[in-house]
Amino acid sequence: MFGKAKKICAVLLSVAVFVMAFTACGESSDSTSSNTGEVGNYGNYSPLGREAENGTIKLKVWGPDAAQESLREQCEEFCKLMSAYATIKIDVVPQGEEDPASQLLTDPTVGADVFGFACDSIDKLVNAGALLEVTGADKDYVVENNVEGSVLAATVDDKIYAYPETGDNSYCLVYDKSVVSENQAKTLEGVLEACKAQNKKFVMEANNGYYACMFLFTGGVTIDGYEEDGTTQKFAPYNMDTATSTVMAFRELFSKYKDIFVNGEVTKVVDGFKSGTVGAGIDGSWNFSYAKEALGTNAGFAVLPTINVNGTPTQIVNMFGYKLIGVNSSSKYPNTSIELAKFLTNEECQKDRAVDLNWGPSNKNVAESTLIKSDAALSSILEQSKNSVPQVAVSQNFWQPVATLGNIVVDFDNEFTDKDCQELIKKTIANVREG
Amino acid sequence: MIKSYRLSRMISDIVIYVILGGLGLIWVSPLVWLLFHSFRKEGGVSVPYVFPKEYTLDNYKALFTNTDVFDYPRWFLNTFVVAVFACIISTLSVLMVSYAFSRLRFKSRKMFINIGMVLGMFPGFMTMIALYYLLKAMNLTQTLPALVICYSAGAGLGFAISKGFFDTIPRALDEAATIDGATRNQIFWKIILPISKPILVYTVLTSFIGPWCDFILVKIIMGDNRDNYTVALGLQRMTDKEYKQTYFKQFLAGSVIVAIPITVLFLKMQNYYVEGVTAGGVKG
Repeated sequence: MFGKAKKICAVLLSVAVFVMAFTACGESSDSTSSNTGEVGNYGNYSPLGREAENGTIKLKVWGPDAAQESLREQCEEFCKLMSAYATIKIDVVPQGEEDPASQLLTDPTVGADVFGFACDSIDKLVNAGALLEVTGADKDYVVENNVEGSVLAATVDDKIYAYPETGDNSYCLVYDKSVVSENQAKTLEGVLEACKAQNKKFVMEANNGYYACMFLFTGGVTIDGYEEDGTTQKFAPYNMDTATSTVMAFRELFSKYKDIFVNGEVTKVVDGFKSGTVGAGIDGSWNFSYAKEALGTNAGFAVLPTINVNGTPTQIVNMFGYKLIGVNSSSKYPNTSIELAKFLTNEECQKDRAVDLNWGPSNKNVAESTLIKSDAALSSILEQSKNSVPQVAVSQNFWQPVATLGNIVVDFDNEFTDKDCQELIKKTIANVREG
Repeated sequence: MIKSYRLSRMISDIVIYVILGGLGLIWVSPLVWLLFHSFRKEGGVSVPYVFPKEYTLDNYKALFTNTDVFDYPRWFLNTFVVAVFACIISTLSVLMVSYAFSRLRFKSRKMFINIGMVLGMFPGFMTMIALYYLLKAMNLTQTLPALVICYSAGAGLGFAISKGFFDTIPRALDEAATIDGATRNQIFWKIILPISKPILVYTVLTSFIGPWCDFILVKIIMGDNRDNYTVALGLQRMTDKEYKQTYFKQFLAGSVIVAIPITVLFLKMQNYYVEGVTAGGVKG
């Protein structure tokens, strides 16, 4: 009796599974056939082109959680602005800035039409054909209005693929004003001396390539895109003596202050401010508001200081990232998406974000405005971008060898001569290039 | 002589216990740290001392009330539902496959066992992208049933251990039941399963724990649909560089809570586990 019922059940189930599979296939093929993007078909009467003719336009936008509210407001404003041409509905979905690359590479069709991402993933996205190129007047618009580094960050093979959103994705010197004076913050020697005087720590994440690259970049060993094969990291020409003496200068200076130097995770800077154990550190812009919260009016921000190399104060050079807004190449509404991306990165929106979220702008006018100039944190990080190497075309193999170099340089228990240093630099470069 | 024997025995005992104690301490210390710091009130990500200075329940409260960015309760429920279904389906399929391989004799049985073993050696995430597209073809991406399918569909391949267990149950039991008129199906449900509680418990536990730990697969399948995230992926999110300062203590609290359903299940099952072993012994 039961056996029979079970058999019938099993047959029904398997039929159901088959039916499900087939109907599903049918649906999905339908949706792909209707998805023939009409790129560049601009109508005469609307910036949205023919897309405006087919009723409601539905867009999906990805942005980080922190920016959800302001992003939503800005999207609403865009819809209002475009209401004369079309009804636009925008769905803002939270998504970290590192995720679009991995998600779009898996399946570009489910991605958002317009999305924010960190510039280091632009090569991956372009190689996968996930980004719509910025062309014509839009290209000039991007180049004219944004700081050079941010445009460079949006460029792959001389073509621009995204709209710069921020100019602050990096790190600089953050210090406690009650420990380090503004004048002392200008030199690394001064910072360390000031920390030592009050027995406070100095934190730097030397075991991370993102921060340890300072040792190399300051000495002139900078990266310069890829070799012709498109995967091997290219290094700009450098002078081995300068490079060695710079790395040695870092080593000797830090080892002189080894009691207070901490090679630790970047979050330790703010944690240390809270517990009163840290005097200064190298911290990322995403932590600035926490630093302000922890130190109040004593929160100090400055460009990375200089370091004394063979008697000459040398400006520390770091790696600088930008956040970009891209348009998905498989978007059903490319024209509308382009307009939205332009809108979200325009002067007004960047200004709003600077006020609401403390995000440093990439827009030239906003960067020069008094709003930014009066904010020590934002103006410091924007100033730092002038002494930096943009975080573009960085090979996957870059981070680990450079982190290893960072660790060896600040490992004060081991003997480390000029010759060792030279070897280390050579080996690091070879490892980055060969993987 | 006796004295020195006692002495040497005592010394060796002390040495062994010190070593074991040390190892135990090392093993348990991260968990203790996790537990203590999930109640920590002060500081952000890390503090320069081991035991927190002030304790609070706020981290746990925030986890369940502050759900705008990270909807932990929802993710917890998702995971629980997925885990329950995946657990039921995979337990049944593992036991049925093992029973068939252990008791039935059919052509190419050996071959299927070998194929199963070989397939089981490939790490699951190798097929992840293919899996994604298969699910997409069935319109199941970004849904919880997709996760249930992924976690339970391949379970039958893990038959090795339970087949080994079934092999130890005397076939005389089957034969006796057959004489009494039982079918293969009835033998499985009424004879074999009741005396296989230990292996049942083992299978239930392993398949229940899976969904709580995996985030690679969830990340691919769920994409941007946050409502369907599971706790593992959600917790991983909390440690992203933008959120770490704010959410790290909640992350610790969330990790502690994940342990609760698994622990409860284990404690409940443990009774059966012991009972199962003894019951099996008497009947065997």
